[in-house]
Amino acid sequence: MSRLQTFIEQQRKDKPILLMTHVVYGYPTIDESLALMRDLLSEGVELLEVQFPFTDPSADGPSILHACHQALQQRPTLARCLADIAAIGREFPASRILLMSYLNPLYRYGLARLPRDAANAGIAGFIVPDLPLELADDFRHSCVAAQIEPIWMLTPETPPARMQQICAAASGMLYCVSRRGVTGADKATSPQNRNQHEDQPLEDYLAAIRTTTALPLAVGFGIRTGTQVQALHGLADIAVVGSGLLDAFNRGGRTAALEQVRSVRG
Amino acid sequence: MQSDKGFFGRFGGSYIPEILHASQQALLNAWNQASVDADFLAEVDRELQQYSGRPTPLTPCPNLSRELGGAQVFLKREDLNHSGAHKMNNVIGQGLLVKRMGKKRIIAETGAGQHGVASALIAARLGLECTIYMGARDIERQYPNVFWMKQLGATVVPVTSGGQTLRDALDEALRDWSADPSGSHYLIGTACGCAPYPEMVAEFQSVIGREVRAQSLQQFGALPDSIYACVGGGSNAAGIMLPFIDDQSVELVGVEAGGRGPAPGDHSIRLSDNLGSPGIAQGFATMFLQDDQGQLMETHSIAAGLDYVGVSPILAHLNDTGRVRMTAANDDEVMHAFQTLLRCEGIIPALESSHAVAGALRDIPAMSPDKKVVINISGRGDKDIFNVASAVKDTEFGPFLQRYLERELQA
Repeated sequence: MSRLQTFIEQQRKDKPILLMTHVVYGYPTIDESLALMRDLLSEGVELLEVQFPFTDPSADGPSILHACHQALQQRPTLARCLADIAAIGREFPASRILLMSYLNPLYRYGLARLPRDAANAGIAGFIVPDLPLELADDFRHSCVAAQIEPIWMLTPETPPARMQQICAAASGMLYCVSRRGVTGADKATSPQNRNQHEDQPLEDYLAAIRTTTALPLAVGFGIRTGTQVQALHGLADIAVVGSGLLDAFNRGGRTAALEQVRSVRG
Repeated sequence: MQSDKGFFGRFGGSYIPEILHASQQALLNAWNQASVDADFLAEVDRELQQYSGRPTPLTPCPNLSRELGGAQVFLKREDLNHSGAHKMNNVIGQGLLVKRMGKKRIIAETGAGQHGVASALIAARLGLECTIYMGARDIERQYPNVFWMKQLGATVVPVTSGGQTLRDALDEALRDWSADPSGSHYLIGTACGCAPYPEMVAEFQSVIGREVRAQSLQQFGALPDSIYACVGGGSNAAGIMLPFIDDQSVELVGVEAGGRGPAPGDHSIRLSDNLGSPGIAQGFATMFLQDDQGQLMETHSIAAGLDYVGVSPILAHLNDTGRVRMTAANDDEVMHAFQTLLRCEGIIPALESSHAVAGALRDIPAMSPDKKVVINISGRGDKDIFNVASAVKDTEFGPFLQRYLERELQA
């Protein structure tokens, strides 16, 4: 069993669900983003997802897109991001940090050396939305060698056969995208007059995944209230709050972000 | 040109979010079936002929040839397509594929607006709902095209993020597709994006090169010695070049937008002059203009249709293998080429296509007079009236617009 999975299962022994919060590295400045990460970890969030910004984040909605573009004004480098995460990770050994980015900044850094460097920085896993499983053989091997987890995503559009394939390849945890569309509040990203399909209820979707894998399940996209998080008790292991936290930060800074965390914890 | 599981050498692939995987696979299957279905291909050919007016002529240019004093010049007249550009070939093909797949809605991105107008036209003709993403800055530059898209019944969504141009519009189209992957079809406008788009769009555009081959044999009894095409996304270039790929005697030349010069943000040169570097973004691997952190850069061209940060993986691969020679023409050379063609032959090329003309004008005087050069006029220049009027410093255009505005405001 991977170290990340062991950590999640140990944490879950006395908690109905864990929280994964999200911070864009460099937004609104590098120092302020690091301060927010420290606040969230001091608050006791079990998992922290740090997004290294990219100019073209095609799976992200307006909130994170805007934050990425603002963060890029700071001209962040992935090397410094890794060093900053290493420092924070040493201060908060009771939590785990995941690095999220799109493929191109990671590719420019070097997909062969990144897993080792990230593992040395104490990072537990990667979330790369535009790297599909079937094009990731080399990256997966480098991750195995470095003992760091590439975290794969499942979506309501993933057919059963592919779900089995992804679950078989996965380790650490799975990221279950709660619905179609991009990150953020649902209303803002729905195209006008889009075809309405019969959506299967979230509990059926998660139950189907649960019958396929014993790995911990994280659920994200559109999760921003305590009610939504409570509804995931018994269905998932981790609730991911990303854009909701960012929207709170934009309204009232780090104080509001921390209030949001307390409120979703219920 | 057939890909190897979506790859052309080290470029291409399908680097898309998981939410799009099932739809991308469905499109791949639909295309694999349709591309070998004689009935479907006949339907595409019929629509190209009856709706877009194909075949487009191969026009000899005796005056230009005489003035340049080198090779004989012929123009492939994609400007004479319905909508005034080669974009029509692709939207007819994909539009009919959408009908075949039973989808009811298309999503498109557009830069200059040519692909947006072509998409809105085919949506109206085939009874499809149509949403077009366009950078807010491009809307400012190309409002007349937006006007026609709206008149045709399309929804035009301004994209206000990033540089507010084509690249941002493409990201936004992908986001829309993610929200309705099974109900909507993403009708990409060029030979870029995830598989099977590069291969499929290049195939729909290859009608250009197939016609050039037949017309060359008929009009001068031989294949052309050189073919020139501008390269933005790369679909008109792939379309005219791919049918000649195995004819080593035919030189293939792609011309990129040199813009104002080689400084970052002043051009759109991805393949020539070592300005681009390998990257993976917008669903595929190709040569991108990017910084040392892998952030995509802003681009510039006097021709909005060439103002793109990436390039077709097919062209990137053909540049790698040396089969296509890539070069660039700057904004000034392009305006000069535009005016030369206008005055010599009475043909108004799009500023995009004028890059191909500029590249050819540079080489033709040194070529022997028995050589035949074909330049792809990918679109017509009427759309560029504002840019050209400004570039030639026409003294009457501004006052005309002012008087028009005064009349409209009074009415």
